Amino acid sequence: MRSDLAMALVLAAAAQAFAGSAPDADAILERAYAHYRSQSSATTVAMTVHRPDWERHLDLMAWTRGQDDGLVRFMAPAKDAGNATLKLGRDTWVFNPRLNQVIKLPASMMNQSWMGSDFSYNDLAKSTEIITEYTHRVAANEQSEGHTLWTIEAVPKPGAPVVWGKVAFKIRDDDLIIEETFFDQDLKPARRLRTERIAMLGGRLYPVAMTMVPLDAADQWTRIETSEGHFDMKMPDYFFTLSNLQNPRQ
Amino acid sequence: MAIAAALLVFMLSFQIGVYGVMKESTLRILDGYAQFQPDGYAADPGLDRSIVDPDALIRDALGIEGVTTAAPRVNGFAILAKGERSFGAAVIGVDPARERQVSSIAAMVRDGRYLEPADTDTAVIGSSLARNLQVSVGGTVTLLGAARDGSVAADVLRVVGIYRSGIPELDRSILEMPLVRAQDTFAMTGRASTIALAGRSLDGLDAALAPLRTLAQRNHVALLDWTALEPALHDALALKYATTALLYLTLVVVVAFIILNTLLMSVLERTREFGMLLAVGMRPRLIGRMVWLELLTLALAGCAAGLAIGAAATSWSQHQGLNFSGMGELLSQFGLPARLYPALTPASALIGPGAILLAVVLGGIVPYLRIAHLTAASAMRGA
Repeated sequence: MRSDLAMALVLAAAAQAFAGSAPDADAILERAYAHYRSQSSATTVAMTVHRPDWERHLDLMAWTRGQDDGLVRFMAPAKDAGNATLKLGRDTWVFNPRLNQVIKLPASMMNQSWMGSDFSYNDLAKSTEIITEYTHRVAANEQSEGHTLWTIEAVPKPGAPVVWGKVAFKIRDDDLIIEETFFDQDLKPARRLRTERIAMLGGRLYPVAMTMVPLDAADQWTRIETSEGHFDMKMPDYFFTLSNLQNPRQ
Repeated sequence: MAIAAALLVFMLSFQIGVYGVMKESTLRILDGYAQFQPDGYAADPGLDRSIVDPDALIRDALGIEGVTTAAPRVNGFAILAKGERSFGAAVIGVDPARERQVSSIAAMVRDGRYLEPADTDTAVIGSSLARNLQVSVGGTVTLLGAARDGSVAADVLRVVGIYRSGIPELDRSILEMPLVRAQDTFAMTGRASTIALAGRSLDGLDAALAPLRTLAQRNHVALLDWTALEPALHDALALKYATTALLYLTLVVVVAFIILNTLLMSVLERTREFGMLLAVGMRPRLIGRMVWLELLTLALAGCAAGLAIGAAATSWSQHQGLNFSGMGELLSQFGLPARLYPALTPASALIGPGAILLAVVLGGIVPYLRIAHLTAASAMRGA
C-alpha cells in the first residue's frame, strides 16, 4: 500500500518533469536575442527607406556591446553622413554634424521615427525590454525547411511601461528570429519585421536582410541589409562614450 | 411677463455674445476660422502630405469676399534642445505678417517680440517650453527632427519672444519660426502643410465657405470649417445651447401658465357678465374672441415692455461690457477676455418675447373654448 503511494508520487513527478521539457518560451527568446546581439558586434549596414513617392539609401555602421549599449554612425549619403546615435542603457543621444552638437533624446521621443525610417529609436538597440517587461508563451510550433519554427507570444506584464499590446515572434530552432509582429494596444497588428535572407556572417548564421513594414500604410517599408559583421570582439571602453559620439576616434 | 421677457432678451443676447466671442477667440489663437489642408491631413498629419504651390491658392482665396487673410504654415515636429535639456515640440513655420492677422499668439508675447518679416533664424516659443528648456529671450535652441524627404532636419534658432496663452498645451509644446526657414529646414520649399484663413468675422467667413470649397476642390485640397477644426468646441456649444434652451422653455411655459391662470380666473369672475351679454343677444364665439383679444393685447403690451427693458439693458451692457475680472484665469482658458459683451441681435431680442407671445396666443384657446360653450341661463346662475 505504502509502496503504491510512493510509486504514484514518482509517476506524478515524472509526468511533471516531462511536461517541463516542453520548450521554454523565455529560454528560446533569450537565446535568440543573445545570438543576434552576441557579446559585442560591429556591422556594416545598408538601409533603404521606401515611401510611395521617394526612396532613400543610407549606409551606416553599427556597434553593440552587451544587451544595452549601441552606436550607429551614418556614412552616406553626404547629406546625412556623420549623423550618429548612441544608446547607453535606457538613454539615447544623437549627434548632428551640421549642428556639431550632441542632443539627449527625451523619453517621449523614443518612439519617433529614427532617421526617417520605419524603425523607432526604441528598435535601435533591440532593447531587452521585450525580455524583462513581457511574459512569454509558446503559441505554436511548425516544421519549415528542416527547422522547427516556434511562435512565441509576448504580452506585457501588468503595468509595464511599454508601447506594444503584444509582440509575436517566429524563432527558428537555430536561434534566428524569422519574423516579429508588433500589435498595438487594441491587439491589432501594427507592423512586421521580417527576415528575408539568412547567410553566414562573421562566422555565424545571421539575418542579413530584414524588412520592417508598417501595416497601416500602403507602399511603405524600410529594409536593412548587413554586408559585413564581426562578433564577440573586445571593444575599447572609450567607444561607447559621448565624446566618441561627437569626435569619432577611429 | 414684462420681466420674464426682458430676462429672456438679456440672457439669450448674453449667451450668443459670449459664445460668439468664445468661438472667435478660440479659433483666433491658432486655428483660424477655416483651413485649407492636404487631403487626409486631419486624420494623419505629417510632412508627407503638403499643399504644392500655396501662393496660387492664397491669391485665389483672398479674391473671395469675406476672406481677409490666408496664412501658409509648415507644421513640423522636432526635438528642441538647450544644453542638457530636450523636449519634443510642434514646430510651426509661419509668415510673420500674415500670421499676425490670423493668430493671436503674436499678441500674447509677454517677453521680447513676435517674429518679423525680415527675420531668418528666429523663434517664438511658449512660456512653459521656455521654462522647461531654461531659455530666455536672446538664447538659442537647437532643433532636430525629420524632414519631408527623410533626411535630418537640424537648425539652431535664436529665441526673440516668449508667449503666454494661458492654455497649457500651447505654452508647453509650440515653437513658431519664419516660414521660409522652416521650408528650408524641413525640405518643404514651395510647399505648405496648411493655410489658415481669417475674415473680419466668423460669420463673414462662414458665408464664404461655398466658394472656398469650390476653390479647394479645384486645387485638390480639403477645406475645414471651424466645426471641423474644433469639433470639441462645436459639440460643447451645441450641448450648452440645448441645455439652456430647456431652461428658456421652462421659463416660457411657467410665464404662459401664470398669464393664462390669471386670465382664466378673470373669465370665471366675469361669467355672470358674459351671461348678461349672451342674454342681450351677443354670440358666444364673439365673446370668446373678445376675451382672446384682451389676452393678446395684454401679452403684446407685456412683451413690448419686456423687449424694451431687455434691449435697453442689453445694449447698455453691450456698450459697457460686463466685468468678470475675478474669473480672468478661468476665462483665459477658453480664450476669453475678462470683460464680456452680450450681442443684441434681432434673433436674440425677438426669440424670447416671441415664444411667450406664441404660448399665450395658443393657450388663449382654452378660455375661448370655455366661453364658446356658455349658455345665458347657466352663466348667470353659475356665477
